[in-house]
Amino acid sequence: MSGANLHGNARLHIGADPRALPADVAAHVDGCADCRRFRDEMLMLDGKVHAALELPLSEFRRRAPPARRYALAASVVLAVLVAGGFWLFRPATALAGEVVAHVEGEADSWNSHQPLPPADIAGILRTAGAQFDSPYPIVYGYPCPFRGHRVAHLVVQTPNGTMTVMLIRHEHVMRRTEFSQGGMHGVLLPAGAGSVALLTRDGEVPDALAADIVSRVRW
Amino acid sequence: MNTALRGTTGSGTFTRLLEMLRPDLMRFAWWLARDRSVAEDVVQETLIRAWKSRDELKDPAAARPWLFTIARREHARLFERKRLPTVDVEEVEALGDPALATDGDASLLDLRRAIMKLPDEYREPLVLQVLGGLTTAEIAAELKLTQAAVLTRLFRARNRLRTLYGLEPAEDVE
Repeated sequence: MSGANLHGNARLHIGADPRALPADVAAHVDGCADCRRFRDEMLMLDGKVHAALELPLSEFRRRAPPARRYALAASVVLAVLVAGGFWLFRPATALAGEVVAHVEGEADSWNSHQPLPPADIAGILRTAGAQFDSPYPIVYGYPCPFRGHRVAHLVVQTPNGTMTVMLIRHEHVMRRTEFSQGGMHGVLLPAGAGSVALLTRDGEVPDALAADIVSRVRW
Repeated sequence: MNTALRGTTGSGTFTRLLEMLRPDLMRFAWWLARDRSVAEDVVQETLIRAWKSRDELKDPAAARPWLFTIARREHARLFERKRLPTVDVEEVEALGDPALATDGDASLLDLRRAIMKLPDEYREPLVLQVLGGLTTAEIAAELKLTQAAVLTRLFRARNRLRTLYGLEPAEDVE
């Protein structure tokens, strides 16, 4: 490679990845003042880029931007007006409210600690039209009436604490929806044609745990 | 290697691994989508897909680039499936997305805006490299480009950001 080519190649590598230069490029940079200055500039810039890409996640969940909230409110109003009360157009937040109300109505479910026999669990799931390969002990379960259908209302003991799992085959939510009410934190998640509600009183529902549970649900 | 990544990818270990990487995954998804709601959807789909195919991850140390490539594909799939509208960067700025919060550091905010405005072909490899820790060879494989093309794109991405710090743009490379 000629001197000019080596110089051009060095600048390409410095600009592309100043922290990981190939050995031949690093050797050239050591003997080239112009490239050393360029590398130092790019290393400074790279530090700034690293900092810039580290977005402040703590800000993410505080609130939606105002315009988006207005847009959401407007869309809900529009949906109500257009749907004229059609049952199918109820927003996910209404579903979340009903889930919370249902769980509050069975508050004793949180106090169960003995794992249910597999045959009982199988019966509950069969009645609710769901399959769930739980990685955690199921300590409470009942095929509860909910919105005109049977859903599997389960309580599982996870490493993060006691958690209610509701397998709602007949209600589909479009997107993940978090909610908090009455000291409970929950999340509604789409799961194929249905949805899964997870509620806990022990902090928020960890995303990885939620993903694990949803991945184990079939209808 | 991070000691937390050592060991097997059993269920408990895998959960901890995902929890550890989730913040950067969320950041990566935001930089791809530049929309918080879409980013959250991408992360959720990524985590589910990762769980389903966790047996494919033979080396826990490779979890980060593995997850990031899943997220990138989920983002592309989401765009294709839902035909999401193109992000209007000016609108994202005007809305004051909390993701751009900088505690009053004006230069950091300017840099975030500048990165946000980079064309996808430059922003994507830059984020894969810096946040995802992918090598240029890995980026080339993921984006189906030659390694030389990836080097050029990364060079041009950084070159466009130089002027924010009073540096002259370097002569372009081929």
